[in-house]
Amino acid sequence: MPRRSHPDARVFAVDTRFQKMARREGGVPREQAIERAQTEVEKAGPSFDEWLKDGLQNLQRLVAEAGPAESGWIESVNAQSRQLRDSSGTLGFQLLAFIADSLCDMLDSIETGADCDMESIVCHVDALKLAQRKSYRRLKPEQVPELTEGLRRVVKRIAS
Amino acid sequence: MNLRDLVILVADASSYMTMLIHSMLRAFGANKVCEVRSSLQVLQVLSSQRVDILLCDARLPSLGGLKLTRAIRGRVDNEHRTLPIVMMSADSSEVMIKQARDAGANMVIAKPLSPASLYDRLSWVAFHPRKFVDTETYFGPDRRFKIEGYPNGVGRRKGDKVLEVAQESGPALAQGDIDNLFSAVRTGQD
Repeated sequence: MPRRSHPDARVFAVDTRFQKMARREGGVPREQAIERAQTEVEKAGPSFDEWLKDGLQNLQRLVAEAGPAESGWIESVNAQSRQLRDSSGTLGFQLLAFIADSLCDMLDSIETGADCDMESIVCHVDALKLAQRKSYRRLKPEQVPELTEGLRRVVKRIAS
Repeated sequence: MNLRDLVILVADASSYMTMLIHSMLRAFGANKVCEVRSSLQVLQVLSSQRVDILLCDARLPSLGGLKLTRAIRGRVDNEHRTLPIVMMSADSSEVMIKQARDAGANMVIAKPLSPASLYDRLSWVAFHPRKFVDTETYFGPDRRFKIEGYPNGVGRRKGDKVLEVAQESGPALAQGDIDNLFSAVRTGQD
């Protein structure tokens, strides 16, 4: 339903510095800009190995050291998982991004009151360690249906 | 689109993610990109220097992108009150997009990011300026708009759709909370 106009609304035009400056002539043409950006992202690939290794170790440590009795640990694990999901997805590592996303979904459910099942969390961390391997890194979720379906079932069970 | 000499603030908890976004922006021609990891750092930067656009993660610690956007829009004497804000979110559900829009964000971009989606959304903000609306319960870009499509259809997601405009539900962040946030920034609390 369309919003009714607010009787006391003040509506005014804004032309920000961003808008004025971005419209100047002389920028990088769209296709060239996107191609160059894609090349830059690909160049970042090698440094991802080290970052991913550290990130997974950190995640594993958080899960091993913390327990449901400690407050805030779910948030830390969730934050780490989100970082893994976002970076993996942006670099095109779809399986890693899928598993990390599944872990985030489950942790979001736990944060909002679902039971905390450590076994399911550890299962996701193990799946991430598997997907980290070079032989799995470039796989898509649909190429490992047993793994992806298993994780989906776990998340569905926790969320329900 | 010409990003040269524009100050772009990228706010995400992940250093790797901000590095990736920074490299994309550099490829687009940007030469002044700042990176921060928390909402209080965003407010600190906004208090100390000019920023031309903010790219902010929806789950940015500790406030989150929505509260941060409300804080920026809610402060009457804030010179960045009309700052273009692009919200980055892995949750691209309609609910999330409505929440971002109702907080005063100019645009939502779905994670994972691609160079094309980032370029097209920045371009959309640059070339489709919207009027601002100031009411008792909302300050931000006019929420009554729809995207007719990005150039060549690139960057358009399956879920992109015209949105119904939500009913006003009142301010989610009280003026006192906003004042406290800015006060904390001034006194250097993190």
